[in-house]
Amino acid sequence: MSELVAIGVNHRTAKLDLRERLAVDGPALAELLHEWRGTVREAVVLSTCNRVELYGVTSDPRRVYQEASRILEKRAGADVNQALYLHVAKNAALHTFRVASSLDSLAVGEPQVLGQLKQAFRFAQDEGCVGALTDRWMTRAFRAAKRVRSETDIAKGAVSVSSIGATLASKIFGKLAGRKALLIGAGEIGEAAAKSLYEGGAALTVVNRSEEKAQKLAQRFSGRGAGFDALFSELATADVVIATTASDRPILGVDQMKNVMRARRHKPLFLIDLAVPRDIDPRVGKFNNVFLYDVDDLEQIAEENLAQRRLAVEAAEKIIKQEVEDFEAWRRNLSLTPTIVGLRDHFHGVFESEVKRLSKAGAPSPEAEVLLKRLQHSVINKLLNTPLNVLKEDDSGNMVAAAQRLFPLAAAAENATATNCVSNSCPTSPCFDCPNVGRSGE
Amino acid sequence: MTLQPPCTIPATIVGFVGDFDGAFFVLTALAYAAASILYILRLMQGEEGAGRFARRTLIAALCAHALYLVSDQLAATITMPGIHRTLTYLSLGVVVVFLLATFRRPTIGVLGAFLAPTTLVFFLGSGLGRSVAEVPPGVRSALLPIHVSVNLLGIVSFALAFAAAVAYVMQERMLRRKQLGGIFQRLPPLDVLDGFGFRFVRIGFPLLTLGIVTGAFWTLRLGQGAETLSATHLFAIVAWVIFAAVLTLRVAAGWRGYRAAIGTILGFLSSTAVLAGYLLRGAL
Repeated sequence: MSELVAIGVNHRTAKLDLRERLAVDGPALAELLHEWRGTVREAVVLSTCNRVELYGVTSDPRRVYQEASRILEKRAGADVNQALYLHVAKNAALHTFRVASSLDSLAVGEPQVLGQLKQAFRFAQDEGCVGALTDRWMTRAFRAAKRVRSETDIAKGAVSVSSIGATLASKIFGKLAGRKALLIGAGEIGEAAAKSLYEGGAALTVVNRSEEKAQKLAQRFSGRGAGFDALFSELATADVVIATTASDRPILGVDQMKNVMRARRHKPLFLIDLAVPRDIDPRVGKFNNVFLYDVDDLEQIAEENLAQRRLAVEAAEKIIKQEVEDFEAWRRNLSLTPTIVGLRDHFHGVFESEVKRLSKAGAPSPEAEVLLKRLQHSVINKLLNTPLNVLKEDDSGNMVAAAQRLFPLAAAAENATATNCVSNSCPTSPCFDCPNVGRSGE
Repeated sequence: MTLQPPCTIPATIVGFVGDFDGAFFVLTALAYAAASILYILRLMQGEEGAGRFARRTLIAALCAHALYLVSDQLAATITMPGIHRTLTYLSLGVVVVFLLATFRRPTIGVLGAFLAPTTLVFFLGSGLGRSVAEVPPGVRSALLPIHVSVNLLGIVSFALAFAAAVAYVMQERMLRRKQLGGIFQRLPPLDVLDGFGFRFVRIGFPLLTLGIVTGAFWTLRLGQGAETLSATHLFAIVAWVIFAAVLTLRVAAGWRGYRAAIGTILGFLSSTAVLAGYLLRGAL
């Protein structure tokens, strides 16, 4: 019986140091994928900053786990066993569906992981490592993630300070494309917020005491760098300002902002003060068309959003459970296919050999032959109707074992599977996972 | 004076449809009320709840309104546009322009939470005006339809600007108080609301100006002087001054956003006070 396996490390089981060593990209990812593919029948490798996971199809999960451990250990140059987890069969599906839906992420509800998993799947497809079972497995994971995002509030409200800044800016200005963002200070604190605004389409200007440092940072976002003497003129034209200097007193006071607002003809201005102590006098926030948020405000919003997302997790888990059940039902039907094909072939074989034996006494007319064929199909369908329904409803696998014992099915099933796999151009021939196996037998 | 129906419409049909006049009025009012509730629900709960039917309900209300207008026309006993008819067309115009605007910019659909109730008030107001007498022969003039039409279109524009302004004030208050919940998320961005409101004030202002000029010219032709100025006329002038200030200060001093929104709300309330004045006086 082919089983799904998901083996890997994530932000909960491994420290950043180990995750960094395991993370792969480009040629290294292809190398890891093919090494993993040598162990399992079908393979996908997901590598993000928070997890490295190997997905596969195998009939021997324990051996595959040991192989995966060896592969990852070699790559990390360190012991990974303490951090490595293994999910098999239904649990592997459940885990993957949760990963795709971002329920297993550090920031629950973040959208990136779904894109990363899709990318990993496409890469494995291009490398010829995906078969019918993994195809269905991943497609259903994407479907589950889509449902979770559209039917729950899991993705509502940004949860990082940088993305909240960009979200609020878009609630003031609409599209950020064509807007001007000004970063005051070239430290690391404002960089993430500036990056979010830049990714939203805003043009970035960095103002810093050291102009050289400002230009260096600005270049990373295709922006402009300037010295502190340009602050006033930049404030007059900016739409969003992120202040992050290490100054021990406000650099933007009430009087300066009055002049700035006059110069900009009271155009709306969104100020994000990420500095501690603050760079902007809080009284500035009372100005008409000025919206001021400091780091406490943003962190409070992040916490509220995170709490709301946690409430949505319960609903999301229900959707995941439902999707996993659907996928498992499909897998059960798939594993029955050889038995069903074998039963049909056995009954048809018996009927045909009896007709052949009787024909020795005298060949039937063409009309009688047609009637006999019809009779053969009708009788066999009626005989097999109840047994096949019982087989499909049985979760334990006892009925499949009983059928295989009662009738000589093994050879027939093997033949059927091999034929169908070839016709389906399945990369993992011979296999029992091909969805087309059942169709020709029906 | 009784309206003579077109000769192509048999008198029996005219009578039959005309009999439904009152029923269509009630049906339209109920549909507008339902659309108002659904739009408010949509603003508060989003598209997941009953609010997703808001737009369809408003379109249904518009159809009921059209039927009502036909039946009202056939049953009408006045030929000149009285305040009843003016308010009916006004509410219809607000809905049509709003629906057309949402086709171009679906995000402003939530403004229905402010526009549908405004429409309902206008429509119910038209019911109050049904009992008024016909327009006195002395004040009939070719200028009257022009005067009424431009004012009507002006108020339709101001109604849309008003809805955007109310949404702007709400959104701005929530942003300042850091209340970033569901309603905040569902309202359009401030800049979109500001731009939308400004556009409709810019359309409505010349129409209002033309309305006031035709009204003044007409009053003078009737031989009435400044002594006949009533509170209604004063409200019209106040509305004009407010909208003139909103536009001028925006261009000259960069007044936009909150102050412009407050000005738009006051201007719209003044212009509706003109309609209320006519309604109370009983005739145009």
